[in-house]
Amino acid sequence: MAAKIVDLRSDTVTKPTEAMRGAMASAEVEDDVLDRDPSCFRLETELAKLLGKEAALFVPSGTMANLISVLVHCDTRGSEVILGHDSHIHIYENGGIAILGGVHPRTVKNNEDGTMDIDLIEAAIRDPKRELIYPTTRLICLENTHGNCGGRCLSVEYTDRVGEVAKKHGLKLHIDGARIFNAAVALGVPVDRLVQAADSVSVCLSKGLGAPVGSVIVGSSSFISKARRLRKTLGGGMRQVGVLCAAALVALQENVEKLENDHKKAKLLADGLNGIKGLRVDTSSVETNMIYVEIEEGLGTTASKLCKDLEEYGILVMAMASSRLRIVLHHQISANDVHYALSCFQQAVDGVPNENGK
Amino acid sequence: MVTRIVDLRSDTVTKPTEAMRAAMASAEVDDDVLGNDPTAFRLEAEMAKTMGKEAGLFVPSGTMGNLICVLVHCDVRGSEVILGDKCHIYIYENGGIATIGGVHPRAVKNNDDGTIDIDLIEAAIRDPRGELLYPTTKLICLENTHANSGGRCLSVEYTNRVGELAKKHGLKLHIDGARIFNASVALGVPVDRLVQAADSVSVCLSKGIGAPVGSVIVGSKNFIAKARRLRKTLGGGMRQIGILCAAALVAFQENIGKLESDHKKARLFADGLRELKELRVDTLAVETNIVFIDIEEGVRTRAEKICKYLEERGILLMQESSSRLRVVLHHQISASDVQYALSCFQQAVKGIQNEIGN
Repeated sequence: MAAKIVDLRSDTVTKPTEAMRGAMASAEVEDDVLDRDPSCFRLETELAKLLGKEAALFVPSGTMANLISVLVHCDTRGSEVILGHDSHIHIYENGGIAILGGVHPRTVKNNEDGTMDIDLIEAAIRDPKRELIYPTTRLICLENTHGNCGGRCLSVEYTDRVGEVAKKHGLKLHIDGARIFNAAVALGVPVDRLVQAADSVSVCLSKGLGAPVGSVIVGSSSFISKARRLRKTLGGGMRQVGVLCAAALVALQENVEKLENDHKKAKLLADGLNGIKGLRVDTSSVETNMIYVEIEEGLGTTASKLCKDLEEYGILVMAMASSRLRIVLHHQISANDVHYALSCFQQAVDGVPNENGK
Repeated sequence: MVTRIVDLRSDTVTKPTEAMRAAMASAEVDDDVLGNDPTAFRLEAEMAKTMGKEAGLFVPSGTMGNLICVLVHCDVRGSEVILGDKCHIYIYENGGIATIGGVHPRAVKNNDDGTIDIDLIEAAIRDPRGELLYPTTKLICLENTHANSGGRCLSVEYTNRVGELAKKHGLKLHIDGARIFNASVALGVPVDRLVQAADSVSVCLSKGIGAPVGSVIVGSKNFIAKARRLRKTLGGGMRQIGILCAAALVAFQENIGKLESDHKKARLFADGLRELKELRVDTLAVETNIVFIDIEEGVRTRAEKICKYLEERGILLMQESSSRLRVVLHHQISASDVQYALSCFQQAVKGIQNEIGN
C-alpha cells in the first residue's frame, strides 16, 4: 500500500489550510437566519463586488446554488430552461430543477469546447404563440469552465453573444461558474467582465479556491432576496455560518493566484501522459486544471481497472467512462506530486498484461 | 449605549465556545461527497447510537432535516402527511414539503400541550377505498418539544400510542425532535426510549446543544441511504464538513448536561414575570426552555412598546403577535442575565402602566 497519496479525483478534495483553520477558530459569528452573520456578510459583499453584481448569497453547495438560481429565475409554473446536454446541472444534480422545482429542461448540444451553437440555442427558444402546447422558456444556462468538456473556457465574446440572445427574447442568463475563476485566470480576463452578461452566477469556493465548504450565488439585490428565501425553504439556512465563511475569505485571498499554477501543472501532466504509449490526451483542450485521459484500445485495459492499478501507487483519479479517466489539479498537488503521478502512470501502463497474454 | 446584551430570541443564537472553536480548527476532514468525512462519520454514528437508530445524516438545518424525512417517507406521488396545525413543519418551513416535494399536508388540531388527539389523527387517515378522490396517507409527524405550545413535551406513552396507530395503518412516524434532548431531560426519559416508536427523528445541534450549525436525521440504514441522496439533490451535500461536525461533537458532550439548568432559568423567569399583573404567564406550561408571555387585554397595544423598551436595555426577545412575546433560555444566558431581564421587564411594564395612567 502506497504511503504517499496524490488525490487527483477533484479539486473538491482540497483541505483547509492552517490559515483557514485559524480563521475558522476566531471567526466573528452571529445567527445568520435571525440576523446577519458578519463573516458571512463580509464574504458575500466581497464576492458581489468581485463579480460586479449587486448582491450575493452563501450556500452549502454548487448544487444548491444552481438549483436556487434556476428556480428563482423560473418562478412561474410551466417554465423551461435551455442548457447544455452535457452540463453539470443536467447530468450531475439529480434532476433537481425538475424533480424539486417543476422546471422543464431543454437540452442543446454542447460542443467539445463547452459552447452551444448560438443558432441552436435560438431555435430551442419556445415560440410564445404556441403556448397552448409549449412550456415557457425563461432562462439560458451556461457553464464556465465546462466540467464535462475538460475544464474548457467560454470566452467573453461568446458569453456576451448568448447574453444578447437572452435579452432579445426576454430571457435571463445564469452561469454555472463553479470554476469561473479558473476561466478568468486562463483567459486573462477580469472575472467581472467575464460574467457581465449574466443575471446570476454560481461560484464554488470549495473547489480550486480550496475552502472547506460552500458556494456563493451573485445577482441583483432583488434576485438575491428571493434566493435567500428559497435557500431557507430548501433547508440551506444555517446559523453561525461565519465559521465556514471565514475560511472562504482566506481561500479567496490566498488561492485565486495559485490557479495559474494549477493550470501549468495540468499542462505538464497532460503532455507527459500523452507521451505514454497506450494513453491519449488532447493537450490542446487542456485550458485549465482538468485533464481527460483516453485509454487507447490497443492497451487492453479499462478505465476502472487502470484506476484501481493507480490506486495501488496512491494515485487517485476518476474513471469517467469505460475508457476515459479524469484528473483534476489543485493547489495541494505539488510539482513533485505531478512527476510522481506521471511515473506511476507509466508503471501502471507497463504493468498491463499484453493482449497476447505475455 | 447598551453594553450588556441578553439575547432571549432563540436558542439558535448560541455561539461556538472556545472548546468548539479549537475542535473546528483541528478537525480531521475529508470530502464528504466523494467519500466519508471522518468527523462527520463519527458524529452521525454517535447520534444514531444515542437515539437508538441504525444510522444518521448531518444536514445544514432542521428545515432540511424535516424536509428530507417527509420526502423520503412520502416518496410516492400523491402522498399525504398528517401533522399538527401549529407545528414547525407546517408553519415555519415555507411549505417546502408541498412546494418543493409535492406532498399534501393534512393539518390536525394541536392541543395546548403539543399533542394531537389520537382519534382526530385516526379520523384524518385517508380511507384507501376512496383513493379515486383521496391522496394516500403515508406519514404522521409529531414535534417534541412542541415549540408553538411553549416547548412542551410529548410523553413516551403518547408517542408510543401514535406509533401504534401508525403501524396499525401501515404509516411511518417522524418526530421533529429539534429540541428532543430538552424533552428527554425534562421528562427524565432516555432519549432513545422517547423516540423508540419513530421511524425517523430530526435533531437540532444548533439550538440548545449550542453547535454553530446543523441538525442530524436518524433512522434505518435504508432510510438514511435515501436521505443522503435527497440531501444531495436539495444541495445539502457539503465537502469538508468535519469542521462543523467537530463543533457539534463538542457541543453534544458539553451541553446536554446544561439543559436542565436552562429549564430552571426558564421557570425562574416565568415565576418572576407572573408577579406582574399586566402580564400572563402560564407557569405550568413552562416545561423546558421556552416561555410565552401574554399581555393582558387592555394593554395589548403595548407589546411592541415593551419589546422596544427592553431592546433599548439590551434584552432581545421575539414578538410572536400583538399580544404575545416569546423568550427562550440557553446555556449562554446566566442566572444574573435572568435577574437583569426580569428587572427590566418590571420597569417596562411599570412604565407602560404610567403611560396608561396618564
